[in-house]
Parts: sequence; structure tokens; C-alpha cells
Amino acid sequence: MNKRILSVGFAAVTAVALTLGITGCAPEKKLTIAFVMGAESDPFFQAMKVGAEAEALAQGVDLVWQGDPSAYDVATQVPIVDNVLAQSPDGLVLIPTDPTGLQASADKAIAAGVAVALVDTTINDTTDAITTITGDNADGGAKAADAIATAIGYEDGKTYEVVVGLTSATATTNVGRLNGFKDRVASTYPGIVIKDVAYSASNPQTANSNVNNWLTKYPNLKGIFAIDGTNASGAAAALQAKDLVGKIALVGYDAYPANVELIKSGVFTALIAQDPAAEARLAIQTLVAYIKNGTKPSVKDVVIPNVTLDANTSDEDFAKYTYVAIN
Amino acid sequence: MSNSKQDTVEKQSLLNQVKASFNNQSILLVATLVVLAVVFQITSQGIFLTTNTLGTVLNDWGSYILLAVAQTFVVITGGIDLSVGATVSLSSVVAGWVLVRGLGLDSTTSGSDATPYVLLAVLVSLLVGLTVGAINAFLINILKIVPFIATLATLGAMSGLAIIISGGMPLQGPNNWDLGIPYNIFGIQLPISTTVLAVMIITVICGLVLHKTKFGLHTFALGSNAFATRAAGISPARQITKVYMLSGGLAGLAGAYAYIRLGAGSPSNGSGMELYAIAAVVIGGVSLMGGVGRMIGIALGTLVLFTVQSGLLMVKVVTVSPSLKQVIVALLIVAAVAVQALQKPARR
Repeated sequence: MNKRILSVGFAAVTAVALTLGITGCAPEKKLTIAFVMGAESDPFFQAMKVGAEAEALAQGVDLVWQGDPSAYDVATQVPIVDNVLAQSPDGLVLIPTDPTGLQASADKAIAAGVAVALVDTTINDTTDAITTITGDNADGGAKAADAIATAIGYEDGKTYEVVVGLTSATATTNVGRLNGFKDRVASTYPGIVIKDVAYSASNPQTANSNVNNWLTKYPNLKGIFAIDGTNASGAAAALQAKDLVGKIALVGYDAYPANVELIKSGVFTALIAQDPAAEARLAIQTLVAYIKNGTKPSVKDVVIPNVTLDANTSDEDFAKYTYVAIN
Repeated sequence: MSNSKQDTVEKQSLLNQVKASFNNQSILLVATLVVLAVVFQITSQGIFLTTNTLGTVLNDWGSYILLAVAQTFVVITGGIDLSVGATVSLSSVVAGWVLVRGLGLDSTTSGSDATPYVLLAVLVSLLVGLTVGAINAFLINILKIVPFIATLATLGAMSGLAIIISGGMPLQGPNNWDLGIPYNIFGIQLPISTTVLAVMIITVICGLVLHKTKFGLHTFALGSNAFATRAAGISPARQITKVYMLSGGLAGLAGAYAYIRLGAGSPSNGSGMELYAIAAVVIGGVSLMGGVGRMIGIALGTLVLFTVQSGLLMVKVVTVSPSLKQVIVALLIVAAVAVQALQKPARR
């Protein structure tokens, strides 16, 4: 009888001790940060992925990277966010493809206690988001104006003809960059005249055609601002084909490796590079700090500046800002 | 028969042959071109009818004509090929990939040094195009999927594949820019370059194939009456395979054209091209119901389309907004279809 009480008591004590020991020594559960971006195929987002993965590793968190493979579209993004939320992540970094369309999804996440960061684009009401991080399209446009002015040797009192190639009249990035360009020209370089804008509808062959026609129509053309990748490709080809490299200033946007190479050969005067990797890193950093310690960032809405890459850029900076392809 | 009478008969039949190749639609298109040329020459204050502008128009024509030709064969059989634009993207990307990632080359190889690589790019593009065509034929023949859906699926798959292979970015490789530069012969500047000349020749060959060969006859037959065609002993499945592979192959060559034009293979090289190809085909007088069409109409229809595109940009007297451009192109299509509907059927 005594032995039985003793052995039961011993077992009970051991069980309690083991349980306490296990719970006491148990590792903290690893945080999961979900990252729902725009379109996998866009090198901008691929470069973002590089930053996100590096930061997730540094912070010791699990990264769930999701998004449509090629369509930058509300219709495909909303179900992806729903899917991701069903997995109960601790944090969500979201790149909304539409400010109204993704509001409900973001609100759902916040209501479920998920810490939300908005990157690159935003939603209408960001009150309950932890942070918003964007690049600055207007700043990019302004920097492009500066680059063209420098390349053409701008002097007050003279007139310089330039043209702008865009993909569409409504894409917010295009509109932001064009307005930034126009505003800078109006305030600082009144001698620069924007003779025409044309649209390529995402096809570099159309952009090529536009530039060829402009070269005929404006024999005194001094500069071309190619507002995105397809316009940059089409314009670069036109200048090379017509042997006008170095004679017309060409400023492009986005540091595709192919175009960065063309800075070195003089086809591009400058490229305006965004820093998608930095945007991703900061988002993850901020969310993890909030989830672990409850600290909110001192500045909630962050704008990451663009960088102008040109012939004077150091090799180090080229390596830092060129978008990285995963292939 | 005396010699002179024989000559007259022969000359007449040649003249008749040429006349016959121009149906009402084609004559209307020629008239339209003349009107457009005059209007644009005036509104551009004299810069439209210059070798520079005409060179750009023909360069654009060259980008799209092979797709229009491809679409002609397919539409005459009563089908449609929505994947041609995606094939342009994919074939240019694969060609770029072979040169840049496979052979480790870049754009520093240029001029005549680049020519052998450009020819390799053409071959690779052609093979990719033929493969896509074969896939389309398989979907239509074996899986019995209607061409609209089958080629829509291929469009999606091939666009996606192009993005994956290229990493979403242009693959810039060796290029001989001279191939795209218009000829200057004995000091006379022409608006035609090597690439444009090459597609002109291919178009003429395809026209002869369509109108003068058994293959062409079978293509029309299939579109007019599939049942009768089968009854006559012609295998519709085999004809469909040939037609869609031809379409794919031509789209592949258009991808090579894009590579040479831009010096790079990019997943956006073919963006939206399928719609222009269909528009060109409709303007050129091909019935989307099948069985009707003339190659010369296609060549002229495509030319009208790009005359309008470039012409509107060159206008100096007013600023033409891009949306107005789109409206004008849409009106052209409507007008072309209306004219076709008013014509008597060409053959029964």
C-alpha cells in the first residue's frame, strides 16, 4: 500500500516535472510573415523577393511568398489573400493591385489580428495598418528630368525638344512619373518643351515605332523619357538602329540588367532605379518588431527614394540597385 | 494561230490574272491608301511621304504581316489562332535565351559578326513556332477543343512560359542592326530594309501557296464545307495540323523579326499582336465565317492599319489623342466588314 502510494506519487511528480520541463524548455513558435505581391513575372517583384527572403532569414521568421504568376490584377489577388489568411500568418505584407479592391482583404486581416504592412501601392484607408512603404513615382519623374537636363547641357534661354513614351494613360505609375517629370520641367527647366507623349500598350515594338516616327517628326529632338521597361527597350533599339547613340539623351526607368549594360555602352543616359529590395526588407523588419515587442514604427508612412544610375555610378551601386532575375 | 494573236491572248490572261487577284475589297483598300496618303501628307506638312516615315510604316507592316498571313490561312478554314502574339513573345524569348544564356553572348557582338547568331535566332524561333502550332493542332484534332478555346489556352500557357524563361526581362543578345536599315542604292534611299524584304518574299510565297496550290485549295475547301471536303477524300485533321503549324511557324518567324528589330527577346514582344492580326485580316476582306479571302487583301489591309498608326502620329496641324487613334482603327474594321457584307460572294 505504501509502495503503491509512493510509486503513484513518484509518477505524478515525474509527470508534472517533465511537463514543466518541456514547456519551460520549449522553443518559441517561429513567426510566419505572408507576402502577397503583384505579379511574379515582374522583375520589380523578383528583386523585392530577394530582399524579403534575406530579411526573413535575418529575422528568423518563415516567409510565405504568394501572388499571381503573371497577372497584376485584383481578381486574382483577392482569392490569394484569402487563401493566405486561412493559414493564420502572424504578419501580412501586401502589395495591393487596387486601392479599393483590396481594402476588404486588408481589413479582414487586421480584424483577424494579423499585422499588416502595405508596400509599393496602397489602399484607401490605412488607419489600422502598421506601416506603408512606397517608392515615389513623382520623384522618379523629377530625377528623370534632372538627368535629361544634365545630359543635354541645359542652359536657360535656350529651347530643347523632348518626348515621353508611356505604356498607358491610366497606369498610376506612368501618370505619377509623367507628372513628376512635367512639374520639374515647369519649375526648373522651362526651356525643355515636351513635344509629344505616346503609348506603347506594353509592346516594345509599338514603342520602337513611336520613337522612329518622332525622330522623323522632330529633327531637333534632344531627349526621350522612356517611362517604363517596354518603352526603354523600344527606344534603345530605335537609337541603335539609326546610329543616334549618344546624340539623343535617353532616360529609362527600372534597372533591368540588359538596360544597365546599355548605360555602359552609352545607349542610356540614365536609368531611374527603384529599391524594391529595401521596401521588402523594411516591411518585414517593421512587422516583426511590432509582433514581437509591440513597438510601432516612429514613421508610419515611409517613402523610399529612387536612385539615378548613370555612367558615373560606381560598380558597387550598380550591383546594389540592378534588379536581380531568378533565372 | 498567228504569233501576234497568241501574244495578245497570253498578255490578256496575265492581265486578267492580275485583275483577278484584286477583288473589290482590294481595290477599295488601294483607294483608301491613296486617300490616307494624301490626307496625311497634307496634315503632316509634308513629312508623311518621306522615306523615313514610309520606312517606319513598312517596318511596322513587317512586324505584323506574317501574323496576318498566318491568321488568313487559319480563318479561311473557319478557325482562329489567338496564340500568335504569345508565340511571337515565346519564340523571341527562346531565341534570346539560346544566345544569351546558352551561348553566353551579349549585345557587344554586333554588325556582320552577329549575322550567324541572328540566323540561329531565326531557326530557333521557327522551331518554337512550329511546336506551338503542333500543340494547337493536337488540342483541336485529338482533344476536340474548338480553335477559339484551344488557342486561347495556348496563348496563356505560352505567355506564361515566355515570362518564366526570360525572368520577365528582355534578353539582349547579338544583333546586326543593318538588317533593319532601309537600303540605299546608288544614292537613292528606299524605305525597304532586309527584314522587310524578307517578309515581303515570304508573303508572296504564302499568297501563291494559298491561291495556286492544292494545299491552298484544301484550305478554302475546309472552310467552305468541311463535310464535302471529307467526302472528297481530304483529311480535315491533317489539313488542320498543316494550317496551324504553318500559322505557328509564321508567328515564330515574326518573333525572329521582333528580335532583330529590338535586339532582344522579351516576353512582351508579342503583347496584343493577335488582335491587330485579326483586325488586319478582317480589313483585308477575309470572312471570319471561313472560305473567303485573298492574300493581296491581307497585305493591303495590314498596310492600311499601319499607315493610319504612323500617319496619326505624324499629323502636325492638330494633336491626335491615342484614344482617337483607337476609335479610328475600330471604325476601319467596322467599315471593312460592312463592305464585305455588301459584296456578292466571291465563289460558291
